Amino acid sequence: MAMDVAERIHEQLTKCGITLAASLPDDWVAPLIERLAADNHIRHVRVAREAEAVAICSGAFFGGVRSVALMGATGLLTCTGELATLNLRHQIPVFLIVSQRGSIDDHRIYQEVQGRRTIPLLQAYDFPYHILDRPDDVSSIPDVFETCRMQKRPFVLFLTRRLVKGEGAS
Amino acid sequence: MKAREAIDVLARNRGGAVAVCALGMAANEWWAATKSEDSFYMHGAMGFAASFALGLALSLPHAPVWLINADGSLCMNLGCLLTEASQAARNLKHFVVDNGVYQTVGALPMVNGGRTDYAAIARAAGFTRARTIEALDELERQIPAIVAEDGPALTVLRVEPEKGFLRTPPMTYEGPEMKYRFGRALERRFGIEVFGPQGY
Repeated sequence: MAMDVAERIHEQLTKCGITLAASLPDDWVAPLIERLAADNHIRHVRVAREAEAVAICSGAFFGGVRSVALMGATGLLTCTGELATLNLRHQIPVFLIVSQRGSIDDHRIYQEVQGRRTIPLLQAYDFPYHILDRPDDVSSIPDVFETCRMQKRPFVLFLTRRLVKGEGAS
Repeated sequence: MKAREAIDVLARNRGGAVAVCALGMAANEWWAATKSEDSFYMHGAMGFAASFALGLALSLPHAPVWLINADGSLCMNLGCLLTEASQAARNLKHFVVDNGVYQTVGALPMVNGGRTDYAAIARAAGFTRARTIEALDELERQIPAIVAEDGPALTVLRVEPEKGFLRTPPMTYEGPEMKYRFGRALERRFGIEVFGPQGY
């Protein structure tokens, strides 16, 4: 991830009042995760499975703490059951930052299904999402976070390859 | 010892602890014993009451948080023990009602047939305080020290499997109502803001 992009996202998360982050890394979000981990104002929780991050953020909600769960697209697929039976069922907002793997510029065969089926899956669950594709889009994060709270459900903020690797990256 | 007897001991010694309960038997028995609204009763996400409780404990570091877990749920998310050990939340206590069966669906046996030593797994994950209690008088004897100790601490309550379904009725509210009752209860108790000025 281009360092200035991670820095900008970090800055916007701070603006949202986020003080807890739970993560399981994908290489696209790893630089952002390490930035958050180094921030003394953010409690960072490394988890063993992505659904842990979802449930940690859900518990934090009831402690009055604003939080973010960070993971890769494959990890998001692993926790759709928990997102449905915990967050959708009880209308608990959870804000997720997820790498949009499997896009046309992501030439990794093991990400191909994620690229084709992740958004249709979110639509089936009626989980809203927003895509950050350009550095200038990053300033929309506070609006996305507030929308997540208002809609009271999982809200996925996707980071594209172009955003995290930079224009024209191989 | 029976699950209900063990849960009753916990309920009597709860003090001001906020509880998070795994779905099924643990949640239903805790509701029967406490009728408390400052408890969150999972209805889904089996295994992840543990993570929910950790998030709550990290967010309310001065509030005692008790996780009323069960062996079936713990096995769905054994990795939670690694995360819990690494975060070292002093205010979090983890109880596991271990009956070796999936009681809520008719007492079908669990994987590994009751041989698993969850306290040993927790110690191997980094818990310095983990034990198994098999008798009611032993639980009564140890509970004051368990209440007083710092977390992370894991107490396995080895209880008898019961025949068939455990028919303790569930809590009388669910879904969004549970969210609002629990959140409002915590707002009142701790003076925090869970919901914003417009109620969401």
